[in-house]
Amino acid sequence: MDQRIKEIMADVLNLDSKSIDETTAKDHIESWDSLNHINLVMAIEQEFQVSFDVSEIESMLSFSDIMEVLDRKLQN
Amino acid sequence: MTFRTQTQADAKEAFVAAKKERNTYQAIHAARGLVQGEGGIRHLNFLSREIESTTNWRVPLHPLKIALLSSFSIEFAQPAIVTYGFLNGLDIKVYRGGFGQFRQEILDPSSGLYVYGPDVVVLAVEGMDWIPGLYRQFLEHDEKEIQTLVSQTREEISDLLKALRNRSGAAVLVHNFAPPNSLASGIIDGQRQAGQRQWVHRLNEALAEVCRQTDSAYVVDYAGMVGRFGAEIWYDERMRLYARAPIAADQLPHLAAEYMKYFRALRGLSKKCVVVDLDNTLWGGVLGEDGLHGIRLGNEYPGNAFVAFQQELLNLHRRGVLLAVASKNNPADVDEVFAQNKNMLLERKHFACLQIHWNAKSESLRAIAQELNIGLEHIVFVDDNPVECEEISRALPMLTVICLPDQPERYSRALLQDGLFDSLTLSSEDLRRGELYKQRDQAEALRADSGSLEQFYRSLEMEITIAPVEKASLVRAAQLTQKTNQFNVTTIRYTEAEITMRMSRPEWHLATVSVRDRFGESGIVGFLMAQASGKSFVIDSFLLSCRVIGRTVETAMLAHLCEEAGKRNLMELHGRIIPTAKNAPVRQLFQQHGFDKTAETESGESFWKLLLKERSVAWPDWMKIYASDSVSGKE
Repeated sequence: MDQRIKEIMADVLNLDSKSIDETTAKDHIESWDSLNHINLVMAIEQEFQVSFDVSEIESMLSFSDIMEVLDRKLQN
Repeated sequence: MTFRTQTQADAKEAFVAAKKERNTYQAIHAARGLVQGEGGIRHLNFLSREIESTTNWRVPLHPLKIALLSSFSIEFAQPAIVTYGFLNGLDIKVYRGGFGQFRQEILDPSSGLYVYGPDVVVLAVEGMDWIPGLYRQFLEHDEKEIQTLVSQTREEISDLLKALRNRSGAAVLVHNFAPPNSLASGIIDGQRQAGQRQWVHRLNEALAEVCRQTDSAYVVDYAGMVGRFGAEIWYDERMRLYARAPIAADQLPHLAAEYMKYFRALRGLSKKCVVVDLDNTLWGGVLGEDGLHGIRLGNEYPGNAFVAFQQELLNLHRRGVLLAVASKNNPADVDEVFAQNKNMLLERKHFACLQIHWNAKSESLRAIAQELNIGLEHIVFVDDNPVECEEISRALPMLTVICLPDQPERYSRALLQDGLFDSLTLSSEDLRRGELYKQRDQAEALRADSGSLEQFYRSLEMEITIAPVEKASLVRAAQLTQKTNQFNVTTIRYTEAEITMRMSRPEWHLATVSVRDRFGESGIVGFLMAQASGKSFVIDSFLLSCRVIGRTVETAMLAHLCEEAGKRNLMELHGRIIPTAKNAPVRQLFQQHGFDKTAETESGESFWKLLLKERSVAWPDWMKIYASDSVSGKE
């Protein structure tokens, strides 16, 4: 799953998927602006067939946050 | 078409490889594989970025500058629009107005919109944003107030379009309004004399009327789209409220695909001909094996599905799309079906060309393109056999291939869903085109009979009318600039609004050309536009439909221009040829009529001049000419 997330982030944020790790966060990535944040959320929703609440969307601010939120979502 | 076995990772790799080589068709092919199916925001983001950063494709794309004006965050649709544009051979550059700023953008003459100078303006406003009183607040108003709201909105739309029209020649696409998902008064709404849905409908009628009255303004049937895909899944209420992005991510490609129908039509990329296979396409089964009476075609499934598909093809024929056949069969067997099978809706006479033999289908398609005198990129090939489809895709990548699904009940949708044949006008010429091609065939047959060319011209008994562009012919004139590829010296596309602008300027001279011969009336088949500049008369547009090429109509058009130049006391007639992949038939035009070449650029664009004191172009004496003196700009 983490590889799929990395690839989605690479596609949406124009990053090299190999450069993405636990430390990759919205604050440090220039292309991860508010527009692309929504794009990223929509892309993850499509890929995993889930729908996030707004509170979840607002908390998905790094690679590890995304993994955590998605993990929880997929377990429910 | 796309190869079904391809995985998305393969498609992505193929795209990157094709992009590196600047191989347009392979890149388009790979990109199509990647966006196949619904949604795919990640792929659309990836592709649009790659597409926007690539230039110098080996087969160049058609540039198109669009402006998106919206009441919501339409930027989320941009990756889909850019990517779908690429799939259609368009290089789309996007200007986005400030969010919710659509009025200011249009009304302020110095706004970014006008600085940008778009070819197309899309006005995408949600009804809920524009007239809340007709939506969430419906019950707060009485009928009179609602009536006022609707007329005010109509006036506002009308004022906006007028302002836009005065300042820009761009085509304008205006979304109409979708009815609310849940009706304020519940189940009784449909029965009320002035229910909520009824009011939205009236507003849409008013909008359509405003668009009809505005040159080059067209309704995007957004209400129809929302209905077709389903309002429940079209909208994402969460994203509407959180990110002002009301359209669900999965639906953005549908919106982009709808825009493409308009963009293709505006850029002269609408398809003109559909070539169908026979076995398991027009009927069920294989004629060579099942025989005349064994093929499935009739009132019961699956025969009725094939009848339904034939009806759609017949409708395309009536809209002016040419039908042709490319089939591996015995011609005599097929003749028998046409002659004897009473369930065939399509008759032999509906097809402009039949290629029935055992050679490769790519060969058949080339022959059809040549015989009908149309470009391969204007042809759609329809076949149930994936192997044939792949053969064509590889041999003729510029052709659009529709590989039919396994179930015949899905054929019609596969043929029509992308609106490949749609155009922005339905002129009387379109409705008669099938017939017109038949007239042309008769004329060609006559050419084979006649001895000298002059004899042939005389035998045609041609009558030519050169007339000023007027309201009734404006649509056709614009359409000709958009659709004519072969006999077209500059291939500059014009909208109705752009032509109207020139009509009002005295230095411009515009005329349409209609031809009548002993086989019938061809209608308006030519258009010319020239501008007086100093002592010269400079030809800007000069084009003829391929139906009448090779009959010296062009000579009459040049003679007309010489005469007009004389009336204006101009000394020189200037022309230029911008070479395209298509316009070989027109390249010799100026040379053949005694013009001197004055310059040629590296890209092959050539400039020509005729000194009117020394030489002129004479009227061909084998045709009757009707040219009124009023042929000129409004002076």
